[in-house]
Amino acid sequence: MLAIFKRELQAYFTGPIGYIFCAIFIFLSNLFFYFDNLQFYTSDFTHIFNLMMLYLIVLIPLMTMRLWSEEKRQRTDQLLLTAPVSTTGVVLGKFFAALAVFLISLSLTLVYPIVVAAAGTLPTAKIIGNYIAIIFAASAYIAISLFFSSLTKSQIISAILSIVALALFWLANLLFTSTSIPWIAAVMEFFSMITRYFNFFRGIFTLADVVYFLSITGIFLFLTSRVIEKQRWS
Amino acid sequence: MIEVVGLTKKYGSNLAVDNISFSIQKGEIVGFLGPNGAGKSTTMNIITGYLSATSGSVKINGYDVLDDPIEARKCIGYLPEQPPLYLDMTVNEYLRFVYNLKKVSHKGREVHISEVCRLVGIEHVRNRIVGNLSKGYKQRVGLAQALIGDPEVLILDEPTVGLDPNQIIEIRNMIRTLGKERTIILSTHILPEVNAVCERVLMINAGKIVANDTTENITETTAAGKQYLVRVEGPQSAVLAVLNNMEGITSAKVQKEGEPGAFDYLIQTDNESDIRKTLVLALAKQEFAVLSFQAVGTSLEDVFSELTKNDKKGDA
Repeated sequence: MLAIFKRELQAYFTGPIGYIFCAIFIFLSNLFFYFDNLQFYTSDFTHIFNLMMLYLIVLIPLMTMRLWSEEKRQRTDQLLLTAPVSTTGVVLGKFFAALAVFLISLSLTLVYPIVVAAAGTLPTAKIIGNYIAIIFAASAYIAISLFFSSLTKSQIISAILSIVALALFWLANLLFTSTSIPWIAAVMEFFSMITRYFNFFRGIFTLADVVYFLSITGIFLFLTSRVIEKQRWS
Repeated sequence: MIEVVGLTKKYGSNLAVDNISFSIQKGEIVGFLGPNGAGKSTTMNIITGYLSATSGSVKINGYDVLDDPIEARKCIGYLPEQPPLYLDMTVNEYLRFVYNLKKVSHKGREVHISEVCRLVGIEHVRNRIVGNLSKGYKQRVGLAQALIGDPEVLILDEPTVGLDPNQIIEIRNMIRTLGKERTIILSTHILPEVNAVCERVLMINAGKIVANDTTENITETTAAGKQYLVRVEGPQSAVLAVLNNMEGITSAKVQKEGEPGAFDYLIQTDNESDIRKTLVLALAKQEFAVLSFQAVGTSLEDVFSELTKNDKKGDA
């Protein structure tokens, strides 16, 4: 797992993908930080984190699309799957590498609270809540995108499927508010990411929400390793 | 060392490997021979654990590839048909990654990688990006990858495909050297390669094993008598009449006009009597001059086409 983690992390930063991800992420974050917090003299970060959740729907699939698709296209999966390591180990290595790239990018935004703190008072609990929420959500995004990457040889198809899937998790909220059928509403409410992370944004930690994000991540990582294993039987 | 029992692999309704069994002893170099699409790569992918069999079992060094995959895979170095290379890494980085991935612990990492690089002759390209290397060097890096961790079993899928003739000879020599201490399965559809490298041949066609013997035995047993190619001056029909009337010749056929007025005849003998002297004398008596005379040995090519031709008829 460590070998895979190192190799993927290295691949992100020897090629352009890691830098491009960081650059776009930071560019958008800075933009919204400027227009929200600096223009309106607010110390409330909720809105920029809210937007972050949205553009990560596109950015994370673009970052993770190659993780399995490229292995399959180059047939390097033959090396990974005949090496004396478990499939789960390989999947986790890739997951943590992508998460590390995200965390590196995210760490660059830590300058915002510092800037705000210099000018006024900082709502510390809320900000910590925001950061934890975004890390949980990004983990779920990465796990979902990794799963779609394992389905196809084509990076583009992998990215499109992931973006659509992530968007659906968002639309779930829309469906839940607009449907009149109770059980659909209940199911949609359960799957909706928005309702979950709003709690975090308010600085509220509930076990259910933590479990929700960890479960989504866990389920999709499990599914990914199942898909990879299943290919042996195809 | 390698024990394959009743291996079957189906892709949907398509039977790629059909109930094959064989075993390979420690230290053997075995050639896995068959036309394209015969099931060679599938079988190798199953042995290495990349694919799972529909039924049957594979044991490496006593470890079942399904029940004990990690232990079984530790014994194997695998070079797939397309070397599994990360084109964005340098050779050094790539081999270090493979070393870590395979959890090799014996010797130091750098010492071991240097040894392997020396063995396959890639020391001078170690700092180059894999993607920029020529096909031959990529193949060698692939071979180096398989050798990391000193596995007891090497499985090489068409290791010389796409290489130039010099590189082919080098890789073959390398395989022979490696085979002194290791068990090697080598797949190919190039027949001279088997003659050059392997001690034993497993011939596979349409998912079935059609021959399993030493390289020498296989060419002998299928050879139905000796063949000669003779060039004789004189009218075709008269010469053929002489040849067909001779004892010990089972058939004589005209191949082509080798020189003006002289034809090449392919003669099949019954393998019991040495007909060379009587043949030349009989022709000389009729004043037909023998211009050239050569023995045509049964090659692996003949055996191969002999054993695989039935299916081709069936397909057509």
